[in-house]
Order: sequence, then structure tokens, then C-alpha cells
Amino acid sequence: MGSRVFLLKGVSYSSAMGNSFLTHSRRSFNYFGFPKVIVHHDRVRSCSSTKIQSSLPPPDVTRLAETARIALASNEVEEFAPKIQQVIDWFGQLQGVDLESIEPSIRADTENNNVRDDVPETFDDRGTMVASIPSYEEPYIKVPKVLNTE
Amino acid sequence: MLSALQSPRSLSRFPLFHSSKPFLFHSSSHALSYASRTDQSTTTTSSSTSSPPQSQILTTRHSLLSRQLTATEVAESYLARLRLTEPQLNSFLHVSDSVLREAQDLDRRIANNEEVGPLAGVLVGVKDNLCTSDLPSTGGSRILEGYQPPFDATAVKRVKELGGIVVGKTNMDEFGMGSTTEGSAFQVTANPWDISRVPGGSSGGSAAAVSARQCMVSLGSDTGGSVRQPASFCGVVGLKPTYGRVSRFGLMAYASSLDVVGCFGSSVADAGILLHAISGHDRFDATTSKQDVPDFASHFAPASSLESKPLKGLRIGLIRETVEDGVESGVVSAIRAAALHFEELGCSVNEVSLPSFSLGLAAYYILASSESSSNLSRYDGIRYGKQVFADELSSLYGDSRAEGFGSEVKMRILMGTYALSAGYYDAYYKRAQQVRTIIRNSFKEALNQNDVLISPAAPSPAYKIGEKKNDPLAMYAGDIMTVNVNLAGLPALVLPCGFVEGGSAGLPVGLQMIGSAFCEGELLRVGHIFEQTLENCNFVPPIVADNSA
Repeated sequence: MGSRVFLLKGVSYSSAMGNSFLTHSRRSFNYFGFPKVIVHHDRVRSCSSTKIQSSLPPPDVTRLAETARIALASNEVEEFAPKIQQVIDWFGQLQGVDLESIEPSIRADTENNNVRDDVPETFDDRGTMVASIPSYEEPYIKVPKVLNTE
Repeated sequence: MLSALQSPRSLSRFPLFHSSKPFLFHSSSHALSYASRTDQSTTTTSSSTSSPPQSQILTTRHSLLSRQLTATEVAESYLARLRLTEPQLNSFLHVSDSVLREAQDLDRRIANNEEVGPLAGVLVGVKDNLCTSDLPSTGGSRILEGYQPPFDATAVKRVKELGGIVVGKTNMDEFGMGSTTEGSAFQVTANPWDISRVPGGSSGGSAAAVSARQCMVSLGSDTGGSVRQPASFCGVVGLKPTYGRVSRFGLMAYASSLDVVGCFGSSVADAGILLHAISGHDRFDATTSKQDVPDFASHFAPASSLESKPLKGLRIGLIRETVEDGVESGVVSAIRAAALHFEELGCSVNEVSLPSFSLGLAAYYILASSESSSNLSRYDGIRYGKQVFADELSSLYGDSRAEGFGSEVKMRILMGTYALSAGYYDAYYKRAQQVRTIIRNSFKEALNQNDVLISPAAPSPAYKIGEKKNDPLAMYAGDIMTVNVNLAGLPALVLPCGFVEGGSAGLPVGLQMIGSAFCEGELLRVGHIFEQTLENCNFVPPIVADNSA
């Protein structure tokens, strides 16, 4: 597990917390032997498909922004990329935890089997809802043309 | 141990209002004195003895029904204080202009001896991510600037049905993402204890408004601590219910498996009465529990009726990892003092270890950013909210969202998009869900051996505005005390238990009490007793005390 699990500046209690996490994980968990590549991201970009444990390429902020449909300005990409990288690195600490045979929890499940009938209900104040639509021509919500760029 | 200033045992269900004569005011100074009378914990900040907080909801109800005061007088009093303090605090994004009219309607009904609900005349602040049909609801974001929803959130609807008066919409970090209100697209709220400091977040406006007595109680939301941390920073009571206790219909979703609607009050009783008003199954939210909601009001006995060791036999577990390195020493002292107070009340206090504790923070941020990237994709500028003109659709999406969202929101959406990308699900989201299972199980185990778990609500008191603004991880680190409770879906109550140095009157520190699922009643009972027996603690900030007549 890399040494830089927590990248924090100037806040003493946070780095102390990062250390106590490491102490606990050494005591309580086994390491998977995930490649240190996760943390030392400057050495990444494995393109070989024969590797069993592939490295995760660092976040490509421009590509992510396209996927998320947010038109980032170039100064935003520059500003966000290191911060996002920092947080994603920090997320990487979960790689070193032994989670073998632990079931994932989708939700807190404070109560089981809470479902309702799959029957739609009509909202009764359609008029007010329609009034919020920026561009409307009864009965259509207007959008500009759709270009298939992908 | 019990303060000599306790109200005598009351014959009615409601604690006695200390002033026996009716109150008329024609000027704002009178209006402010009214407030200092109803809030028994306000005399002045230099007062050496102070009585514990009384329920504003119950004392107001008593005054209204006994005709000592009118709802209009009460409303005028609070509105005057709101206007006086708002320029410094900026708690509200919108203030209702129908408050007095609603109060007058209520007065008419009382005069006609009509039945009035349990929240009659209660002035309620509502966080701006809860939809209100008669006030804008922006979620703290420009993408919904000016948006007025066509419906009320269920929690808001229930407040109104029971007689509550919505005073306004409170400021928040955009879409709940943040711990200071610096993430609001519109304004930064100041902490009433020291206006150079943050009130906490994301429900900072709701916490500050109750703290500064601009309203009696308020609604907030808690996804990773957004009710509990600002309650601690502002010296008020914050209650996070069990996931499924309160309907999320009309709450703008941030992370659907973690969000809950929560309550603020200046006393445990008020937070509990408000919770009772909004709780219960809702057909519009399938995640709400069908379990009955117990009557929390029966838990708020007057302190004078308590025996000498009222919590005898209660097992309290102090979470060891929350009072170790990395937590400010003043906070640790306040929590240890609270543990001693519990022992005086008859509890047995043990330390309990939750070794997976610090894992929860990363797991939380993975789950929350992933879920939010999905939830916020609905803000596309097409059906509501701000639309930026473009001649083709993906640019319309891209530009509307780029202009409408703030930086923190954009970053979290991008991080979530990354974590959910094909090929990364196993590495991040799935592992975070597995950590969630570990945390749920360790809480269950700890709550088998203890009735209530305690910890600080935050590792520090309120810090300065601007201090953590550019350092995301430093800000996220402050959530360490609160996120695990959301992952497990458990209820938690934060109440002020002490002070640390700072500001002109010290900075409040909140104690967090965690209970088992759907055991809010127990938390409220224990919290109420703790609060009513805490000596020499006055949690009214200088900005209120200074402005009282």
C-alpha cells in the first residue's frame, strides 16, 4: 500500500487520521497486493491486455466532462484536474482493504422489502409544471436539433 | 445537580411559561424582549446561572391558547430579530411575505375556539433544497435560480398542515455538497457565535437561523452530517432520523441512499416535536417505513420531575477512534466532560472501538459522488431551471450545466462519473458498498453492547470563513464523525455540550448520540435529560443576547 493515502495540506488532524487509518488497516486487514501504481500515478498507463491486474488510468477530466455533459472551460480543466486526482488517489485506499466475501450493501436497509406497486400516479397540477418549462409549444417540450457526434 | 431555576412541576402537560402577564409590544425592543422571555436560557451571556432551554413550541402554544400572546405578536417579534440580524448572518435566501397574514389567520381561529395543530404559531425555516410551492427553491444553485416548484415537499406539507408558519428558505451549500455554505451560489452564511466563522454545512442557514433565534425551529437535510455538523458549530440541537423515518419526497436528491430530512431546534424537545410532525410513511416515497411513529412528546418530562439518577442502567459507548489523535483537544475535553455528566446521571460509560471507522469517509465520498453524478443529471435545462441557448442539444446540456453548477458540484459529478465508469465499478463503487456492509455490522455489534454511542459531531469547532475553501480533502476530513451514521442509516442527535475558546463568548461544541434504527424516541429521551441537567451552560450566541432589550 502506498504511503500517500491521504494527501492533505496544513491540517494536522487530517494527516493524523490518515496515519491512524493505516495503523488500523495493518492490524485488521490483509493487503491484496494491488499494484502501487494506484498511488504513484505518474508511472501508470499500462496498455498491455495480458496483465491480470490492470492499472486504472488517471481521470481524464476532459473526457469525464463530456460524459457528464458539462462544458468545462480550459481553465476549469486545469484547476480541477489536480484536485480530482488528489481525491481519486485518496479513494484508492479502499484497494488495500480485504473485502473478500463481504456482500455489498446497496442501501442502509433499515427496513427490508419496502416496495410499492409499480403503478404510475398522475400529478394533478400539470399547468404549474408546464409553466416551468423554458421552451414549450403545446404539447411539445422544445429542444434544439440533436447532432450525433459519437 | 438539578438547577434551582427549574419550573415547578406543571399540572398541565406543558411547562409553565414564566411570565404571567400578557405582553404587548409596539416597538422592536419589546419584540426582542419577548424572545428573551420565551427562551429561558437567555438572560444575558454574563449571567452566572442559567436555566436549561425550554421548548419554544410548547411555551408558544401555551401562550397562544391561554390568550397571553397572539400569533401575530410572536411572529412580529421573530421577524424583527430576523431583519436586525440578517445583514450580518445571511441565513436566508428568501423570506416569506405571508408570515403575518398566516399568523393573523391563526389568531382568528384561536379566537373562534377552533382546534389548532401541535405546531400552531411555530415559525419554521426550511432549507432551500426542500420544495416549497409558494417560495423559490434553488437548492443553493444558479441552475435553479428563481425556480418555484409546483408542489410542497411532504415534510413541508406536514409542517403547514399542523399549523406551522414557514418563515423562509435557508441558505445552503449547493445541492448539499459542502460543509460551510461557502458552496452556495448566492451568499455565505455567518456563524452567530462569531461572524468571521462558518456556521457549518450544508444546512448552515437552517442552523444559524435557529441559533440566532430568527425562527424557532428549522428543517435541514443530512447526507453525510449536514444537519449534525452545523448544529455543533452553531450550538443548537440537530436531529438526523433513521433512513426511512421521514419522506424524501420534495427533497432535491443528492445521494439517494444516504439523504434524510432532519430537524433543528434550540432544545431537544423542539427538535423531537418537529420530527414527530414530519415523520411517517408517505406513498410518494417508497423508502419510507410503514412502522408507526411513536409519540415522542411523552419523552419530555420537566427536569424537576426527574429522580436523582434518571438514566440508571443506560449503557453509553464512547467511540474510541473519535477522541484520539487528530481531534482538537478542546473538543475531546468537552466530550469527556459529557461522558462524566452521563455517569452522574447513572449511566455506565465504556469505550468502544470501531476499527473500520476511518474507512467510512472514503467509502462515503465514493458513494455520494457516484450517486450525485446520477441524480444531478436531471438538471439539463430542458424541463425546469436555467437554460442556456444553444443550437444543438448536447451544447445546450453542456452550457446550461456549466453555467448553472458551481465548482464543487462540477468536481463531485466528475469524480462520480469516474467511479461509475465502465471498468472502475469494482474498484470503487462496489468496494465502497462492501465497506458500507462492514460499517453497518460494526455499528450493530456496538449497539448490541451499548444503548447509545457517543462521539463529537466534528473534529473541531467552527473554523474561519475561507480557511478550507480551496482544499477539498481538508474539508472532507471534517466529516469523519458523521458519515458512518449515514452509511448505516442510523438515527443521531447532536446537542451542545460545552465550549472551546474562540470568538467573544467561546465556540460551542456538540455531542453526537447515535442510536439503533428507528430508536429516535430513546435518543430524544436521553438527550432531553442530558440537556435539562447540564449546568452553567448557556447556548445563546452573543448576537442574540446583545440585541435583547
